[in-house]
Amino acid sequence: MSARFMRFWSAALILAAVSLPAFSAGGSLLIKNGTLLTVTKGVIAKGDILVLDGLIKQIGPNIQAPPGVTVIDAAGKYVIPGIIDSHTHIALNGTNEGSEAITPEADVGAVVNADDTAILTALSGGVTMVHTMHGSANPIGGPNVVLKMKWGKPSEELVVNEALRTLKFALGENVKQSSRTILPGGPPPRYPQTRMGTNAIIRREMLKARVYMEEWDRYNKFKASKTPPKLLIPPRKDLRMEVLADLLRGKMVARCHDYQATEALEFMGLAKEFGFKIQALEHAWEAYKIADELAAAKIGISVFADSWAYKMEAAEGIAYDAGYCAKKGVLVSINSDSAERIRRLFNDAGKTMKFGGLNETEALSLVTFNPAIQLGVDKIVGSLEVGKQGDIAIFNEHPMSAYTRCDMTIIEGDVYFDRAQYLKEREEAAKQAQAPKKGGRP
Amino acid sequence: MRVRQWFYLLPVFLLVFAISWSAPADVGPTYAVRNAKIVPVTGPVIDKGTLIIRDGLIEAVGAADKVVIPEDAEVFEAEGLIAYPGLISAHTNLFLEEAAAPARPTGEAAPGPAELMAGAAAQPQSPQNADLIIFKNLKPRKSTLDGFLKAGFTTVLVAPNRGIFQGQSVIVNLNGEEPGPMVVKNSAALHLNFTTNRGGYPSSLMGTIAYIRQSFLDADHYATVQTFYAKNLKGMKRPGFDPFLEALIPYLKDRKPVVFQCNNYEEIKRALKIIEEFKLNAMLTHLNEAWRDSDVLKKAALPLLVTLDFRPPNGSKYVSQGEDLRKKAEAEIYPANAANLAKAGLKFALTTFGLNDAATALKNVQTAIKAGLPKEVALKALTIQPALFLGLAQQLGSLEPGKIANVILTKGELFEDKTQVDKVFVDGVLWKF
Repeated sequence: MSARFMRFWSAALILAAVSLPAFSAGGSLLIKNGTLLTVTKGVIAKGDILVLDGLIKQIGPNIQAPPGVTVIDAAGKYVIPGIIDSHTHIALNGTNEGSEAITPEADVGAVVNADDTAILTALSGGVTMVHTMHGSANPIGGPNVVLKMKWGKPSEELVVNEALRTLKFALGENVKQSSRTILPGGPPPRYPQTRMGTNAIIRREMLKARVYMEEWDRYNKFKASKTPPKLLIPPRKDLRMEVLADLLRGKMVARCHDYQATEALEFMGLAKEFGFKIQALEHAWEAYKIADELAAAKIGISVFADSWAYKMEAAEGIAYDAGYCAKKGVLVSINSDSAERIRRLFNDAGKTMKFGGLNETEALSLVTFNPAIQLGVDKIVGSLEVGKQGDIAIFNEHPMSAYTRCDMTIIEGDVYFDRAQYLKEREEAAKQAQAPKKGGRP
Repeated sequence: MRVRQWFYLLPVFLLVFAISWSAPADVGPTYAVRNAKIVPVTGPVIDKGTLIIRDGLIEAVGAADKVVIPEDAEVFEAEGLIAYPGLISAHTNLFLEEAAAPARPTGEAAPGPAELMAGAAAQPQSPQNADLIIFKNLKPRKSTLDGFLKAGFTTVLVAPNRGIFQGQSVIVNLNGEEPGPMVVKNSAALHLNFTTNRGGYPSSLMGTIAYIRQSFLDADHYATVQTFYAKNLKGMKRPGFDPFLEALIPYLKDRKPVVFQCNNYEEIKRALKIIEEFKLNAMLTHLNEAWRDSDVLKKAALPLLVTLDFRPPNGSKYVSQGEDLRKKAEAEIYPANAANLAKAGLKFALTTFGLNDAATALKNVQTAIKAGLPKEVALKALTIQPALFLGLAQQLGSLEPGKIANVILTKGELFEDKTQVDKVFVDGVLWKF
């Protein structure tokens, strides 16, 4: 195949993709005769799921399709709740506000990019929801955002407003390396350049946030009093401090990039001192060393399945991390942190069956129900239950099998990925590309 | 007695003075353009008409048999020519030459890429430009003027194309190379762009959005403190002076227009959020992805300055998927932008923003017309519509008595393939190419 042919072919395919969803069921469809892995309510060997207006209306055998509702035959296939990626950076215009160490004002929710084709990649792996995050260049990065993978919809329709508001923190080497000058004549070295500095700067900012909150409280108190002082000037509104104040008031939770157990414990100390909630530690390669402490503090982890030791601070990572911690009562999710791995999160979850001895449901939970809890959306997604949103993926084999593949991805009853349809479009595009072009040069 | 004689002579002196002040050079010429087809834009077309220009203004427009040609007028026989108001481009980056880099002591190494970037980014926030006034940076050049005038443009809005707070634009008539006499309106609008500050804060788009919001919050706070101080001069410590925040106040408090450059669809929505948050009197510019959502623009009901640049924005899905799709999008999708807006009933001006030369812009108007933009809408979008948006409808945008005499005479109708601009009058003076 010539390069020219390939180029046209891929362009035509994307043109077709641009006009997604492949077919819209208008938020209602009936999936028939699949093996339903509900995650929270066991396995139904041969069952149907009816989704009406985006919500799961009924689960059970022999459901009749209401008039006008599309029926999808899932005989011989596995039907699971849509996969949730608890930590990624897709669908954004920019990842890090790396110029300064403390940037909680830099909200990734402000730069959602619904045109990112990584959304398509995610869909092809059964992913329906992602927690897309600020990068790990800064001790305090910025607020993150939870998105549904509704390819073709405007960005604001992707945002899941029900999710917890989360703030990205980061410890360790990424922060240290980002603080070093790489280019000659580039920006000056940034503080902090050590782990102790990282802890200190987060503490310093929390203290500043406290002062900021007190300043506003004092002002509001004076303003509300019957005899406010004559020169009562409102304090400066500081977006950076506003976000930290929200964290300290419990309106947000922390998600902290961390590799080593020691820095995790230090960060947990900060959370205790200032009374903020750590929802999960990201990557947490040494979580197995502090599993009891994490379980006691109700702090989850969001980790890779394997691929440890790719850098010094990951040297003591082990493939048993996720499985072991899950068995110790830590809320574990497996994440992609990547626009490529995102399409095979089910494979990564499956690895915990070998390394850690989780059963099929426990393993599947790592990419469905557990991330839903971590994101505070377990009431609406994460499992196949009546009343939840119709976010569903259909696999040809058991999703924890090495031979499995995602055939269809559905969000709120709309089909956003249909492998058969894609293959057909791809074939047609290839045919078109091979046909002689009208008026083309010989 | 002597004193009284002098006293009587005083008016004579004053008269002499007055005459010497309004030196002959300051009185513009008088022209009569006779027997032209006249397209006033705001009124019906006159098939055979005469247009009188006197001292920079249009004195009369009408049917040839109704307008009396003044004795002192230089007459142009314009049979077969068409008169239009000079075109307006409501957003350009013309005449803003880069400031020369400071001389480097011999023997010192050439700047690395990071250093160059840092220098470029730091420039708009340098102390000299902190007040965001860009008039002082204008350097008009004959070749650029010629290019625009040949294409029929007589008025342009000039704003810098770097920095987040780019500056306060200046609207100029293309009447020469002296910046002063060119100005129609200075500090016309405050221009913002969703760009980053490489080598410094903010280095990301999300940082930029936070920076814009924080700047307006700071300007608001600054204004509050200044107001307090004005009422408590005695007994209150004097607050510091900040030229940047000072410059923002009229735009935040007095509803002077703020122009947001929306380089893609998402940026339209990002701009609208900020506009809503700070209740700004805003316009949107660039907008070559406006076609993706006319509903959101309809709801916003803001003046739209739409570029004639049809290149899909970087990072768009039409660019990231290979050259074939990009070319197709540039040839077929983006040229229909204006046509889509017109169909949706939205009012917009067309601009040359992002294009190097006016001839390309004019060719692109034809492409837009082929893609479904009605011709008369295109003409309005380059004349009266920008004049209305920029608050210049009393002075510019149509051929009416009393308005500034920016007039072009064309051989053939505007926006046709072979049409040529035959004569251009700017501020009532015939331009010599």
